Amino acid sequence: MLLFLARRIGVMLVTALCLTFVVFYLTNLPAKLETLAKTQAGSRISDAEVVSWLERNGYNQPMLLRYGEWLGAVPGWTREADDGSITGRCYRLASVTEPGAAPVRCGLIQGYWGNSTRFRADVANVISARLGATGMLMLWVLIVMVPMALLVGVLAGMREGSRTDRSLSTFAIASTATPEYVSGVVFIALFASSAVGLSPLLVSWGVIEGPVLFQGNARSALEKITFWNFFLPVMTIALYGMGYVARITRASMTEVMTQQYIRTARLKGVSFGNIVLRHALRNALIAPFTVIMLQIPWLLNGVVIVEVLFSYPGFGWVLFEAAANNDIELLLAASVVAVVVVLITQLVSDIGYVYLNPRIRIT
Amino acid sequence: MTQKNRKATELHKAAHLYARECRNGKLSRREFLTRATALGVAAPAAYGLLGLTGPAARAQTPQMGGTLRMQMDIKAQRDPRTWDWSELANVCRGWLEYMVSYERDGSIQPVLLESWEANEDATIFTLNVRPGVTWNNGDTFTASDVAHNIERWCDASVEGNSMAGRMSALSEDGKLREGAIEIVDDLTLRLHLSSPDIAIIVNMADYPAAVVHPSFTGDDPVGNPIGTGPYRPVSHEPGIGAVIERNPDHTWWNEGNGAWLDRIEFLDLGTDPSAWMAAAESGEIDLTYQTTGDFIDLFEMVGLPSSEAITASTLAVRFNQMQAPYDNVNVRRALQMAVDNAIVLELGYNDLGTVAENHHVCPIHPEYAEMDPPELDPAQARAMIEAEGLADHEFELISIDDNWQAATCDSVAAQIRAAGINIRRTILPGATFWNDWLNYPFSSTEWNMRPLGVQVLNLAYRSGVAWNEAGFANAEFDTLLDEANGIADADERRVVMLKIQQIMRDEGVLIQPYWRSLYRNARPNVLGAEMHPTFEVRYQHYGLS
Repeated sequence: MLLFLARRIGVMLVTALCLTFVVFYLTNLPAKLETLAKTQAGSRISDAEVVSWLERNGYNQPMLLRYGEWLGAVPGWTREADDGSITGRCYRLASVTEPGAAPVRCGLIQGYWGNSTRFRADVANVISARLGATGMLMLWVLIVMVPMALLVGVLAGMREGSRTDRSLSTFAIASTATPEYVSGVVFIALFASSAVGLSPLLVSWGVIEGPVLFQGNARSALEKITFWNFFLPVMTIALYGMGYVARITRASMTEVMTQQYIRTARLKGVSFGNIVLRHALRNALIAPFTVIMLQIPWLLNGVVIVEVLFSYPGFGWVLFEAAANNDIELLLAASVVAVVVVLITQLVSDIGYVYLNPRIRIT
Repeated sequence: MTQKNRKATELHKAAHLYARECRNGKLSRREFLTRATALGVAAPAAYGLLGLTGPAARAQTPQMGGTLRMQMDIKAQRDPRTWDWSELANVCRGWLEYMVSYERDGSIQPVLLESWEANEDATIFTLNVRPGVTWNNGDTFTASDVAHNIERWCDASVEGNSMAGRMSALSEDGKLREGAIEIVDDLTLRLHLSSPDIAIIVNMADYPAAVVHPSFTGDDPVGNPIGTGPYRPVSHEPGIGAVIERNPDHTWWNEGNGAWLDRIEFLDLGTDPSAWMAAAESGEIDLTYQTTGDFIDLFEMVGLPSSEAITASTLAVRFNQMQAPYDNVNVRRALQMAVDNAIVLELGYNDLGTVAENHHVCPIHPEYAEMDPPELDPAQARAMIEAEGLADHEFELISIDDNWQAATCDSVAAQIRAAGINIRRTILPGATFWNDWLNYPFSSTEWNMRPLGVQVLNLAYRSGVAWNEAGFANAEFDTLLDEANGIADADERRVVMLKIQQIMRDEGVLIQPYWRSLYRNARPNVLGAEMHPTFEVRYQHYGLS
């Protein structure tokens, strides 16, 4: 078990290293650095000013050296100003100017995530705040999606080819075939517009007080989540993921239902409900469990569209902003977080297998 | 100083001249107000010259208190003089005030200055500082604070300091010229210009001219909010929003004439207007920052009436004359000739503006000289392109993916194509576009308005200036522009202006299809928040009924 964990963590570190280097390389191409200088110092600055800005901010060194600085393996750059005060990577991160007051190395290894140029704030703060927001969204999506998907999948799969199966399968396929940017817009038109859809009808019947049934904008959910402001974004993501998980569950369930031991149980006279719940369910859940675990990293990075559509600033939104503004250190940190989340969920799903299927062992 | 001061009650000669022109219908009332107040005539007096009383201050006085929520982009802050987006200034307007302000009616109003006056040839300006103004840290606002700010503005060594160009008549070698500012006493100072510049006071109303405390250094006017205004920041998160509240520890000099709201919340809802629409429908915002195109009607439909500001803002579809084939004047003229500006206005901007004439001087500018509409002849255009041997050349028009800018360029390109000239359209996302936008051979630049016609020409078309992405360099144009900068008299300046406009036209500098009107939608109970021609959000004067 320990060896297994160690190996997994080793893989995680190597993956993170490779991925961050690729991200670092792509964001540090000369043209990208020029964009950065222009967004930072004014879009109308001259080429000479771009060069001087890059030099003053330590972007003029070789790329490998700066990657090392970011990692914390190489000492951070420093420069002495005319008045004797010192600036440098580590001086800025620690916000000091006296010579010698800052650590020599300040990278990921030392716990410095760097500064976001887009948000002018500590990357660690930006990431943690946005990760928290997406965490809430993911939590509610999972709470809605997982039970619904399992229920639909199990109901459809327990009698293959029945009318229930056909109708639930159609629903699942339709929901997973509708991308978020379609369902989100349809939902807003249907529930969150005072001119079209359900809301004007409900208002004229006197069922709701406000102009709209649900809010088509989830910004207020940052401060306080309510049923009304969170329903649409959660449903938009949950419906899309739901159909997929339900299809996997159904496939797995139908297969289990044809197994010999199920027939034996039936012949013994066990009730159908008992067969499904006590004998089939646990075995049928192995495949959906992996898929649900895979959905978590997908949720983390795949919610960009929904977060932008509903103006809910979460992790997907931060990734979008960082990429659009070439925010190097923020993108790197986001990659690290993404790698960690993917590998942790995979770890959990591998360990979870052992409990669902005693035949599998971790060695 | 031996210069004879005119008394405060005495009006500048040119002001009477303007008033006569206005009465004779040669000058619109709006133009008259801009010009007269720029010379130091107070707005009520200016109205008086026309035999009118000034407009009633406010039809309805807002109630004290309340929270206003506005959709607006929030960007990472930086040193005010380097601001390149009006939004950066708007957040700080509650505590960082200006020397003077440009009003919706086209007049210049005193803010931290109480009054100012120019000598006869607009080379010496006397500024009277408003007494009784204090900073919110308790310091008194004096003439030396004014001098300090002007010195900051003149410092061209700061990357991206756009005020340096506006203050060029006061600077030398990239910093304040020795003797340019003379502090007479605590509340009076005198500016000695190296050349006549009628725009010097108007420039102090521009958004990067926010007045900061002498202790201000660095890049963060929000983190260190010392100012003279009645508000203070509570939070400021780029991309998310900002919250401003009334400052309870500070007495504002203009108390009783504003600061109605307890709290202003700016929400950055991204660039997609449908997201703003959804937020308005669910009651999360009370007003938009700027609404464009079809959304103006849509917002009205859901109960947010719109307000309009007529402006000299525009989209300059410019050639870069440093690059082939646009270094050839015949090519530029031919492409101009293929485009009917009225059609561009209709298809590119929903007819929400007025047709322009390819010389970047607007009829609402005081010195605008009337000209024939630009020549339109697609057949001739095609013939000229063929004559230059470019019949098979594929031109390329590059624009940003912004809605109306892309539509405008599409419409320009479509007409060039219809004339039988090969042209390709390229639309780039913002992140890519801004990287190299100054160097695209044929592209578009959004220009916000300036109150005087000479101002944009000084910024954008003078040889070698930073914002001249048209690459236009013409010695005669520069000389004439210098001349125009020193002429306070309208008719005289218009004579020079006609020559300038003609050069702009003859040289085929740009296709300038239209002047934009700007719109904003707000709930009916929001007072004083009408759209402003230069995008100012002076929330200290906003209120709720």
